[in-house]
Amino acid sequence: MARKAVILAGGQCKWGVREAHLVDLFQEAAKICLDDIPALKPKNIDGLIVASSYAGRCSFQVNTAPVVAERCGLKPTSICTRVDVLCAGGSTGIILAKGLVESGMADIIMVAGGEKLYTPQKWEVFYSELASVDHDWDGAQGMGLPPPFFALTAQEHMIHYGTKKEDLASVSVANYNYASTNPVAQMQKALTLEEAMNAPTVVPPLTLYDCCPITDGAAACIITTDEIAKKFTDRPLVYIRGTAQVCLNSVSANFPGTHLADWKHTKIAGEKAYSSAKVTPNDIKVAQTHDCFSISEVIEVEEFGFCKKGEGGQFCGSKQIEIGGKVPVNTDGGLLACGHPFGATGIRQGIEIMKQLQGRARHQVKDADIGLTHNLSGANAEHTVLIYGRTPVK
Amino acid sequence: MAVAGIPILENLYPATMDMWPIEAKEFNRIWPFYENLKQGRFTTTKCKNCGHVAYPPRVICPNCYSENLEYIDLPKKGKVIVFSEEVRGVPLGFESPLIHAVVDLGVDPVRRLLTRIVNCPAGVLKRGDEVQLSVFEIPAIPVEKGKAGTIMAERVFFAFEPVKK
Repeated sequence: MARKAVILAGGQCKWGVREAHLVDLFQEAAKICLDDIPALKPKNIDGLIVASSYAGRCSFQVNTAPVVAERCGLKPTSICTRVDVLCAGGSTGIILAKGLVESGMADIIMVAGGEKLYTPQKWEVFYSELASVDHDWDGAQGMGLPPPFFALTAQEHMIHYGTKKEDLASVSVANYNYASTNPVAQMQKALTLEEAMNAPTVVPPLTLYDCCPITDGAAACIITTDEIAKKFTDRPLVYIRGTAQVCLNSVSANFPGTHLADWKHTKIAGEKAYSSAKVTPNDIKVAQTHDCFSISEVIEVEEFGFCKKGEGGQFCGSKQIEIGGKVPVNTDGGLLACGHPFGATGIRQGIEIMKQLQGRARHQVKDADIGLTHNLSGANAEHTVLIYGRTPVK
Repeated sequence: MAVAGIPILENLYPATMDMWPIEAKEFNRIWPFYENLKQGRFTTTKCKNCGHVAYPPRVICPNCYSENLEYIDLPKKGKVIVFSEEVRGVPLGFESPLIHAVVDLGVDPVRRLLTRIVNCPAGVLKRGDEVQLSVFEIPAIPVEKGKAGTIMAERVFFAFEPVKK
């Protein structure tokens, strides 16, 4: 019988400004991950995929996987490597782990993502962001920190589709309120529309709560096959049904849409993931989309087909992303409120979808059986989508 | 010049902390782009086999993988489609206001070039305004040249600026 990949367990350490080293954060996440599945021991894990993009710049550590393996008491024999796809690193680790366990090249893989971004002087992480975009072309134009790029994106969405600042603010309000009771979120504060509308300006039209913070943190999950998982748990199995990763450009001048609010590559990634998972947008009961900025979530709900193109502002503004809405989105708080330690984010999203599909989420979506996660990375240069389900693809 | 906390780096150049491209011929095969920029020309590569124009410049044609490329001039004037202004919290290395614009230079592949707008105060730029290429000096870097010793490699970079009315 064909081997089918599942997400067996997961854990996230406290995210925020952490008084800890990068390898401390990985150890915390690995422990919380295994605490989630008491029958599974470090010796059962034969593979490790580490997702971290800033280990080299902010911790002066490349070849990070052996360091993490050793500190976490793992002795991998099938795979021990690191991936760097910035914000999509964790999701990429899960995609690779799926391929490895389904092919039989590995049995039980820990996918662990983490970043320690705050350095003793804070200028360094902001300055190092010049490496997050195409350094010589977009970085040298001052595009390292992303608010200007997403401010332009928001402006073009407003120009072409009539989206309002209130629509953006409604995304921040929804995601902050989801996170207000999440003990591992960076921002644990209920937010009103009035507060969001009156927040300090970052780059117009974006204000404070439209932008995700800089975050230290780690998360880890276990990817294995359904048959192996059954030996360790009685919980409902959560299958990784379909995946896609689409890259059509790197330099902003080659952006694939007709304007910055037309995310053609996101749409292609969604369609490919739906097709490989044999589902349609109407089947998605809960989603974790990449809300690095409020405008991102507005555009993502359009490109993934939760509403028509151009109606994302209205969709979010009319509470369709909240519990009871058409597709609750970022039910743990998303990047806006949980924070965004790049390599850990896709794992955080996968854990939340796993919990939703097992019926044990903090903000539970009733009868959730299919869920989606999504990341964008770089200056909107790459899109990664995973679709999880309670049953495997037939 | 001392580096706080790391006295061994006194007077040393850390390329890994340089916000600008390493443009020198010894380190970059698209050095002609930067040499052309020094002459006030905004250029990119065109494939002499299939005719494909790529931006930014390449060492192979991304369309047919030919290495038979030539540098061609791109327009130096364009129109602002949309722009953003950052007045407070401008990142290290850039001055306030940090203005970015999507600029239409009128030809592929630079119909939506995302660039910095310089020599422009906050609150002045408008959508549809005409802008032109602005080339400026950036810090020279020391390059080790074996027995010839270390030479300082001069550098320039570019942005766009409003056309004076």
